[in-house]
Amino acid sequence: MRLLFLLLIAGFGLSSCNGPLGHSGSVSGQRVVVSVAASLSDAVGDVANVFEKETGIHVIVNAAGSQILATQIIEEVPVDVFISADHRQMLRAIDRGKIAEGTIRDLLSNQLVVIVPSDRSMSINRPLDLIEQSVRRVALGDPEVVPAGVYAREYFDEVGVWNALTSKIVPTRNVRAALRAVEAGTVDAGVVYRTDMRTSLGAVIAFDVPVDRAPRITYPAALLADLPHPESAVQFFAFLQTAKAQHIFEAYGFIFLVAH
Amino acid sequence: MVSKHSLLTLAIQLRQGGFSLDVSVETEAQAVAIVGPSGSGKTTMLDAVAGLRRPDAGLIQVGQEILFNSHSGTNLPSHERRIGYVPQDLALFPHLTVQQNVLYGVSNAATEEHGRPVLQILEIQELLSRTIDSLSGGERQRVALARALMVRPRILLLDEPLAALDIALRDRILPYLERVREELKTPMIYVSHVPDEIRQIADWVIRLDAGQVVGSSVPAEAFGAETGNLTSPTRRRER
Amino acid sequence: MSELLEVTGFTVLMASVATLVMLPPGICVGWLLARRQFYGRSVLETVVTLPLVVPPVATGLILLKLLGRRGWLGGVMDSVGVDIVFTWKAVVVAMAVMGFPLLVRSARAGFEAVDRRYEGVAATLGASPFKVFLTISLPLARRGILAGAVLGFSRAIGEFGATIMIAGSLPGSRTLSVAIYRHAELGQDAAAAVLIIAAVAIGFVAVHVANRLGVAT
Repeated sequence: MRLLFLLLIAGFGLSSCNGPLGHSGSVSGQRVVVSVAASLSDAVGDVANVFEKETGIHVIVNAAGSQILATQIIEEVPVDVFISADHRQMLRAIDRGKIAEGTIRDLLSNQLVVIVPSDRSMSINRPLDLIEQSVRRVALGDPEVVPAGVYAREYFDEVGVWNALTSKIVPTRNVRAALRAVEAGTVDAGVVYRTDMRTSLGAVIAFDVPVDRAPRITYPAALLADLPHPESAVQFFAFLQTAKAQHIFEAYGFIFLVAH
Repeated sequence: MVSKHSLLTLAIQLRQGGFSLDVSVETEAQAVAIVGPSGSGKTTMLDAVAGLRRPDAGLIQVGQEILFNSHSGTNLPSHERRIGYVPQDLALFPHLTVQQNVLYGVSNAATEEHGRPVLQILEIQELLSRTIDSLSGGERQRVALARALMVRPRILLLDEPLAALDIALRDRILPYLERVREELKTPMIYVSHVPDEIRQIADWVIRLDAGQVVGSSVPAEAFGAETGNLTSPTRRRER
Repeated sequence: MSELLEVTGFTVLMASVATLVMLPPGICVGWLLARRQFYGRSVLETVVTLPLVVPPVATGLILLKLLGRRGWLGGVMDSVGVDIVFTWKAVVVAMAVMGFPLLVRSARAGFEAVDRRYEGVAATLGASPFKVFLTISLPLARRGILAGAVLGFSRAIGEFGATIMIAGSLPGSRTLSVAIYRHAELGQDAAAAVLIIAAVAIGFVAVHVANRLGVAT
């Protein structure tokens, strides 16, 4: 009996023996490594697939929190392109000289939305509504660290409600957690990205944070100074800024910033 | 003075916790018995001779071989002392068979060959394939003895070898010990509190009390006509 | 479904390798701490316990500093042409480092439970300290060591923070926990749930195997 279990485990193990990074499946054998913020991973994944079909260059997408990505880059992990969820993490990499000069682009933008649980009857249409007594808790990515939280705080500050809100804020580890809190109904409202709402059940958008009044949310992209795969890197970086890529990003709800 | 013909020369000073051992012994006897109340240091003494405890100061010499000398800094590790030790709890290796136990210290065919008489004297042959936990008390005793003797020790240390056995068993094992003494001619140090055993086995008796040697004599003189003034007050001869 | 098999298989394989890798040093350190007094002993104890008390991401950062190209160890590896960071080897390293303290604790307890009398008698029978270790201490401590291996393996399966730091989140070399995190981040709850069930199943199997081996966890 225990032999059976051990065999099962061994079988699982062997079934994945095609080797991780090495299994490129690319025609030309070339590759490029891209570190992207977790929230971009699907969108960039789709862009990468199209790029691979066209060029035969295999794209390896490393998706994690921007903080972790920046830390990895500072410690010189073999990465070609960095797309961060905010400027702060990109700056960390720039300060340590890891970014190729002149290659930084604001690639994408996003829109903040204020959301509420879909089964609540509360009527929240503008920032001032959040100060009402009936709204007891508002979930945000931690305004100290999480980019979306930072942006949200800047916006609320701008419209003058931040001070009144501070006692209601429930800081979360990331935007995803804020969204879940709203979906579960454990908070009365939350602030997330529009792109997060694409697949959400249980939460609805109460109102958009107007783009012109909000701080500029940007996802900067850049080439690394020390490129493991120089030619492929430059090619892919250029592809990120084409109309084909734009099409894909916008389908996910991102705002494409690169002008043509 | 250390005489060339001494079997055993011991000068051991050892402190541990509140206990202090300070003994000095020099004898030519072939079989030396150590008697004394529990806690008097008998086992500690054996441990020191075996190399399992290190005296703070002193000398341990068996025959011509110096095992420990604090003056010169000599301290032979246990595995080089060629001592056969049968501790009070026997310490038979529970995860090995009788055969593996008995042959544990045997590293070549010559030694094994030489050890055959041991197996015969102690009638170990039929026990060889058994596991330790299946042995009776008497069988365990014999196996422990055999194990210690197979390595052809220069001296055998026995810590109350018959204490855990009933009278009948004791009477059966004692002859084995005598045979070991007579036929293998292995010198031994024998800790016991039973006068009869000592009378049968030992040439010389050393009395210990509270870590000191308080007397030594031949067995006949060591015990009075009574049940023995050396019996520790808390133990009884019979079971 | 193929992701399920691939990620689960990969994770189990890596955790097994990590367990094998940590066994020899784990046994040695466990024995050292159980049996020997030496200068610097408390330092060793502290270093070994660190991955238990320090947040895994911090451990990951320390490993990254060591193994990255600029790192002390990484620089050496790089010159020999060996890549660790961002490969499956980094996964094994992260898992082994995080599981090591659990293995050492258990192995140490296993050795401490071995009656020193056995070891002493074995020595009087002529066994060198190494032979005593191999033939007496190790076999008699095997329960503790096995328990430690199971604990280390389970810890390796669940390992996330250090793994994502030095191994990244790369397709084809994602562990179960990293894959779950990724799906959760993207709001793909169904996909995450499937992987979570797999992780729980592995936990059950591990405990079952441990019980069969007669080891208390």
